[in-house]
Amino acid sequence: MSLWLDKYRPTSLGKLDYHKEQATQLKNLVQCGDFPHLLVYGPSGAGKKTRIMCLLRELYGAGVEKLRIEHQTIVAPSKKKIEINTIASNYHLEVNPSDAGNQDRVVIQELIKTVAQSQQIQSSTQREFKVVLLTEVDRLTKDAQHALRRTMEKYMGTCRLILCSTSTSKVIGPIRSRCLAIRVPLPSTEEVCNVLTSVCKKEGLLLPPELAKQISEKSGRNLRKALLMCEACRVQQYPFSADQDVPVTDWEVYLRETANAIVSQQSPQRLLEVRARLYELLTHCIPPDVIMKGLVTELLSNCDGQLKTEVAHMAAYYEHRLQLGSKAIYHLEAFTAKFMAIYKKFMEDGLDAMMF
Amino acid sequence: MNTISVGDKAASSRLNHWVDPSFTDFPGESFSLSGRRKGSQVLGSKAEPKRPQKRKGEAGRSNPHTLSYLLRESAQRDQDEPWVDRYSPRSQVELAVHKKKIEEVENWIRVHTNTSEGNILLLTGPSGCGKTATVQVLAQELGLRVQEWANPTNLEPYSSSQHEWRMNSFSFSSQLAQFQDFLLKTNKYNCLKMVGDGGPTDRKLILVEDFPNQFYRQPGSLHDILRRFVKTSRCPLVFIVSDSLSGDSSSRVLFPREIQEELDISNISFNPVAPTTMMKVLTRISTLEAGKSCGKMCVSDQAVLATLCLGSSGDIRSAINSLQFSSLPDTSLEKGLWRMKERPVTSLGKAVSRMNQRKKSKQTKEPEDEQAIGGKDASLFLFRALGKILHCKRRNHEGAEAAECASGPGLPSHLFQHHRETLLVDPELVVERSHMSAEFFNLYLHQNYVDFLSEVEDVERASEYLSDADLLTADWTSRSTMGDYGSSVATRGLLHSNSRQVSVGFRPLHKPNWLLVNKKHREKCLAAQFLFRSFCLTPVSLQTELLPYLAKLTHPMRNQAQIAFIQDVGQMLQRRFSARLKLEALTDKEPGQLETDTEEEKEKEEGQGAAEEGLLGSQPQPTTNQVLLEEEDLIIEEYTSD
Repeated sequence: MSLWLDKYRPTSLGKLDYHKEQATQLKNLVQCGDFPHLLVYGPSGAGKKTRIMCLLRELYGAGVEKLRIEHQTIVAPSKKKIEINTIASNYHLEVNPSDAGNQDRVVIQELIKTVAQSQQIQSSTQREFKVVLLTEVDRLTKDAQHALRRTMEKYMGTCRLILCSTSTSKVIGPIRSRCLAIRVPLPSTEEVCNVLTSVCKKEGLLLPPELAKQISEKSGRNLRKALLMCEACRVQQYPFSADQDVPVTDWEVYLRETANAIVSQQSPQRLLEVRARLYELLTHCIPPDVIMKGLVTELLSNCDGQLKTEVAHMAAYYEHRLQLGSKAIYHLEAFTAKFMAIYKKFMEDGLDAMMF
Repeated sequence: MNTISVGDKAASSRLNHWVDPSFTDFPGESFSLSGRRKGSQVLGSKAEPKRPQKRKGEAGRSNPHTLSYLLRESAQRDQDEPWVDRYSPRSQVELAVHKKKIEEVENWIRVHTNTSEGNILLLTGPSGCGKTATVQVLAQELGLRVQEWANPTNLEPYSSSQHEWRMNSFSFSSQLAQFQDFLLKTNKYNCLKMVGDGGPTDRKLILVEDFPNQFYRQPGSLHDILRRFVKTSRCPLVFIVSDSLSGDSSSRVLFPREIQEELDISNISFNPVAPTTMMKVLTRISTLEAGKSCGKMCVSDQAVLATLCLGSSGDIRSAINSLQFSSLPDTSLEKGLWRMKERPVTSLGKAVSRMNQRKKSKQTKEPEDEQAIGGKDASLFLFRALGKILHCKRRNHEGAEAAECASGPGLPSHLFQHHRETLLVDPELVVERSHMSAEFFNLYLHQNYVDFLSEVEDVERASEYLSDADLLTADWTSRSTMGDYGSSVATRGLLHSNSRQVSVGFRPLHKPNWLLVNKKHREKCLAAQFLFRSFCLTPVSLQTELLPYLAKLTHPMRNQAQIAFIQDVGQMLQRRFSARLKLEALTDKEPGQLETDTEEEKEKEEGQGAAEEGLLGSQPQPTTNQVLLEEEDLIIEEYTSD
């Protein structure tokens, strides 16, 4: 048994549930025979990877679904061994180069080189090129991106790249201009509801439309999350009731409590407690920027209108530092302290105004 | 017994020649010396020429029957003798150690020589605070033989002829084995009775100051030997370990707390010699010397001694050495004498003014300007260094007004909130003396600063400065240069933010959590990717979406590791306002122990991808390097990509 997420993942462009127009365009692209490098971008949970896999299937047929996970070792020029996991079929290779950290440049060059240098066996029946799918391109270092630019041109004959990222803002211009950019937006609430209903129908379950709507809203239209939520609902209670609680992840609840703790009291002691909670979140594998984002969202909902701009401004300021700096806790804590100070001042001013 | 003595006898006899053949003229005298020397003679592992010489000088001064011997000695030689040795303490009164400490050690020795079981004492303290001297003096007074271990200096060339090699082969046993042997034998056998040996001193004390190198690499081997020793031994064993400021504090490596508890090792920690005590000793020595040299040597005056005293930062050995050096008569030129006479005068003036200043403002940094001869680099333990920054000592108001008048107009009114009194510490100096990298010092500060601030506004400012400091050192290419600026920003920022200056009293300090948290975060992220790679998700969505929900699903997992991981990471205990994370208190005199993390982090920052290694170390290895996604894919397993 696998997750609903994987079980009901569409496998061909024709079966995609939403953005059908884009699907047809992709189909046309493939039927033209050749296609340029692609840069697929869009928010998490919009179905980028699903769409790419469908595209590959359209290109190469069912053989592309026979995947294997390989553990590759690449030796960097500095004799350092880099180990990286790749997912590959006979026709394509998927790799997340940012797994290699700062050595991603070597990974990109070596992997693409090995793939591109080997020709397809029967070029008459198959495509002339293989596809290398790079995920999380926005997390690549600048170094690696420049290396990628060169590699793209060099092996154009035997290999096509599909780059996958959540946003193009961190992809350098030269790469963007060499690729056909395809944006995959989030599905609308109705589309999410439809998907949920159809999945439940296939499972033989009856999903009340109210619950579907509630899930799709709670998930922020992130389809992956919505499906996981839906499955969690199923575990929690079946038959579904229209007003049942949609389970939220523990860390989100924890983060909300942390935000509440910040709002309810502003003192150095409380800051220490918050710091401990931040550490707790970090040890549970929640990335610092996600913590920052979640914290700001929760805090903003507790803020008065005029405070909101200021808080958002600070959040942006410290988020930026979080990206630049090396130790996340300094910046997370600085943001918390700043918020405490502003909020306290605001409350005191408000109290004074009330008195007079 | 034979194994070691044959090999070493050669060495010992040679050594004794090195030391001084004059001993052969005075067998009686040489035996009346402390048993320690004899012990080393018998064992032949004595290598330092310094000690016997010291004893000799001492004997020459104390025993009337060696006067003839003294006369034979040339005056030249007498002059060359280091004062440290000539004036080494001979009684408890002369020891420059606090009475309580001496008492403590004395009690221990008294108690444990009378029992018939082995006990271990560990003496720690900075170098030159009189640890060895205390043991020597006490042993002499209590009538104990001191048998000291010294690392064998067996440097017979390995490539000597086959024959010789065979002859010496037993002495090629490892230092470790020799050490063990030494403990066993000193424990078992008494020294040979010699003519002129005074009194029945068959009680003894084993002293180890010098550890075989192997122990630093594998402290476990020392522990094994000690366990055996404790079971079988009959006499007390004293270890002397000097504290060091750098991370590899040997007392911690060699004697971790568990071992101390297990073997019931008593630990007595010495403090640096107090300035008053040191002054006393220095004064005594300089008057004695001046008297002896009959005016040839100028008497160093009190001010000079005070400078020496300050410069040595509690190291009496270095202070005495500096004293000897500074009062060396410069006989080569007439002018030299003049210079010698003038110099103390000028420095007297300075030193006096300095002393006054010191009394007035209690500033701590003066002795830096003109380091006394042979002065020691002053250093601070991390605990104290942090305290200096966090407690934020500023000049109090009376002094401040005077300073304000001197420095002209104060800040304009709109900036007056930023006005602070003059600092009593120099933050950069404190960081430098803590012997820590700026980055780690900042981490320690960050861990502890909140406790010392009372207002949220202060905390806000302080945290912002820390954030600034991190930003400055973010880029590893420029980190070496920017590190100092970073620590400067952090320390000064913290000092400035501490606007209330309420004295908070004692607050425990803690070790930073960040390194551990960060390490865990990295390891777990890698583990997550490794265990759940079949889901083909990006790390972020894996960690924030899939794992937490998997914890809520009854999804059958493939293996135990995955289940355990999900329970560990996916679920969070919903404690309300949980208490602090487990904090590790930072104790006095503890070095910042961050070596492993440092390396790892650096490696990562330099783009070495240390993370992967961490994963492989901590995670179960895949049995095959190909894991199939689906069962039906078995067919294509043989495929190779080329």
